Amino acid sequence: MKLSTKSRYALEALLYMALHAYDHPVSTGEISKETGISEGYLDQIFFRLRKAGLLTAVRGKAGGFLLASSPEETSAGSVVRALEGTLVPVACAEDLSACKSLVRDQCVTRALWVRLSREIGNILDGMTLASLAEAFREKEGAL
Amino acid sequence: MKISTRGRYGLRAMIDLITHAEGEYISLRSIAERQGISSGYLEGIFAALKKAGLVLGSAGSQGGYLPALPADEITIYRILDALESSLSLTEGSEPDAPPLRAFLNKEVWDRIDSTVAGLFDSITVADLIREFENRDRAVNSSGL
Repeated sequence: MKLSTKSRYALEALLYMALHAYDHPVSTGEISKETGISEGYLDQIFFRLRKAGLLTAVRGKAGGFLLASSPEETSAGSVVRALEGTLVPVACAEDLSACKSLVRDQCVTRALWVRLSREIGNILDGMTLASLAEAFREKEGAL
Repeated sequence: MKISTRGRYGLRAMIDLITHAEGEYISLRSIAERQGISSGYLEGIFAALKKAGLVLGSAGSQGGYLPALPADEITIYRILDALESSLSLTEGSEPDAPPLRAFLNKEVWDRIDSTVAGLFDSITVADLIREFENRDRAVNSSGL
């Protein structure tokens, strides 16, 4: 049940911004330097994040990207959804008409997928860039 | 992050086997018909389930399969572990990951992996069947 690197790198890049660049625009070049994620890959990721309304672009010399909402208002769930489209591991969990099999509403397994989706959603929606940044700072401080 | 078709279909097929097995071997063809899955696809799935010790097979004209364990001893984890190449969100350990990435690997992605594995390990096929049957009953009594 793989989660693509683009989703994981998206969260990493935005967490970097929440930690280091919450009040001034930052370029994908800078983030690439600091995180090791390739700039080209970040460009693709940031295009999706901008489209989903999680980032705004600032043009000009001191330009770059800014978080569109505060770190407190940006959940990890919204970041993953921006890249994956959905958090749901089995399509029928959020939409029975997405079921491609003939069992449909006689399916014994659907309740499992609904529960799985809910548990993953609870974890990711319960984390914000702010709560992750705070936990990271605490951890770094403890070392 | 998706559960593969193999895992989803295999789980349904395993449940179908358990609900229909009453001593006689169940043919893959009958499962294929009831579940709308191709027999060929089921062959690969049941080879893996057999290897994992979840089903017993018998060849020949009376060929087919039987569950190797009672339904309340077969966890979803065992079935999906036999059919999915990996239940993890990530590729595995990344010992040289920089601090921020290592933090996210541990606190987010590995945490989801644990929760998912825990969920699958705590639910048996018997649980799913019971839940499904109770749901049916709840719906039918709503007209009273």
